[in-house]
Amino acid sequence: MRVDVRALGACNRLAERGAKQAAGALSDLTGTDLAVEVTGASVASGEDLAESFAGRESIGVSVGLRGGLDGEAVLAFDAVNADALLSLLPGGQSMGRSAVTEVGNIALGGFLDGWANYLGKAIDMSPPRYFEADGAAVLPDGALAGDGVFLFESRLDATTTDLDFSIYMLPDSGPFRDLIVGKTAPAVTAGGEADGGTTSTAVPYESLSTFSSLAKRGSANAADNIAMMTGLETSVDVSRLRFVPLADVPAEVGTEPHAGTVFELQGEPSGYLAILFEESSAAAVADAMLPMETDEPLGDMAENALCELGNVMTSGFIDGWANVLGTTITHSPPEFVHDIGASTISPLVAKLSERQDYGFVIDTAIQTEGIQARCDVYALPDERELARALDRLSES
Amino acid sequence: MATRVLIADDSEFMRNLLREILEGEFEIVGEAENGVEAVNMYEEHGPDLVMMDIVMPIRDGIEATTEILEENPDATVIMCTSVGQEEKMKAAIKAGAEGYITKPFQKPNVLDAIGSAV
Repeated sequence: MRVDVRALGACNRLAERGAKQAAGALSDLTGTDLAVEVTGASVASGEDLAESFAGRESIGVSVGLRGGLDGEAVLAFDAVNADALLSLLPGGQSMGRSAVTEVGNIALGGFLDGWANYLGKAIDMSPPRYFEADGAAVLPDGALAGDGVFLFESRLDATTTDLDFSIYMLPDSGPFRDLIVGKTAPAVTAGGEADGGTTSTAVPYESLSTFSSLAKRGSANAADNIAMMTGLETSVDVSRLRFVPLADVPAEVGTEPHAGTVFELQGEPSGYLAILFEESSAAAVADAMLPMETDEPLGDMAENALCELGNVMTSGFIDGWANVLGTTITHSPPEFVHDIGASTISPLVAKLSERQDYGFVIDTAIQTEGIQARCDVYALPDERELARALDRLSES
Repeated sequence: MATRVLIADDSEFMRNLLREILEGEFEIVGEAENGVEAVNMYEEHGPDLVMMDIVMPIRDGIEATTEILEENPDATVIMCTSVGQEEKMKAAIKAGAEGYITKPFQKPNVLDAIGSAV
């Protein structure tokens, strides 16, 4: 099966529109303003998903889908926020499970409307099923099985209370396959030349899955490099390949101050890579790397240390890609950034946005165990070049 | 005499919400939790109006509406649904519903829909 990443973009827009409708319905029901923070499609293995959701306790509602779209959709929120939600619903405190179930039913109904109207076919929802789940058990059935699945994920944040919802949709391959299967030509010809207009974005599904594994390996390399340079024990908490609107990426990094390094990638795929630490994490990691105490937490010495760390991490990240894809990828010298999170990555997104609206984002969270520090790696490859490289990978 | 209403929704929360909205101005003759109960309670109580959820277990609201209208062509049914899909709405109207309201609903929407239907 070939996946057209532009068609996947259209699906993502539908998911985003659906999430906005769901947010509107939840706002009406709870009297609290909710906004859609992020909508993205993940290509992830069951193992990746299990790791991503480890340690979370969730309450939610799931519905089965049949008709225009087959699969399952889930609305979930942190169990600790259950009382906050119930207090917002008329009679909610006494209705408990029934109230939550109906909230999920209404929100998921809103989420699916856009998809159904786009498809021109009704999507039948099964009666909602309430659940309380640990870890990845929150995900739709089947998400953890198999080598790789598409999972649409939207996060809805309340603006005035601690109430965040996530919507997950795992489409079965049937009708969804028709939506995303590439109608364009392969990204590369049998002779190895790029297609006529370099416009094709159709890639084999298996290659996406391989690339997702590759991203994970790159993340592990990057974490090892931090450990080597700082002496801190590291672990990769999250590593996922997601397909998201580029415009949403800065908001994901957030408004807290961050420091780190950004790079331009040259080769196939070209693109950008950002290695970002929350400010306090950056200071702690730099401190662990420097042999002497410094007066300024993020002064010149720390900047140099973080640039060197970024250099080594970037190499660790992209070397694996280049080896497997059979290409050469080089990176620019590190550019140190220290600013509000969104501002550190906005220039990269702006440059890539000249070529594409959506992008594959590989986000990796690396945790250090000796000190409290967290590092997020955002890789933003050019979609057409990545498609060509993945296409070659499938033929080799 | 107050309009007699049957509420059919599998969610207790939603039935309570509708009851709160309607009580005082309408007479609630019963509450059904699925499509089969809705059909049986319709036959038992002969209400002037049914507020019918679409997605319900055992038998959904569209099937229940079709069955009620086959036996009672003058029955009035308003669909209450969390889905605003055009195709679903067409199916509801085809089944004979007089109108529909999309959840979450506010009291004025419910009263407007009832005012138009009854």
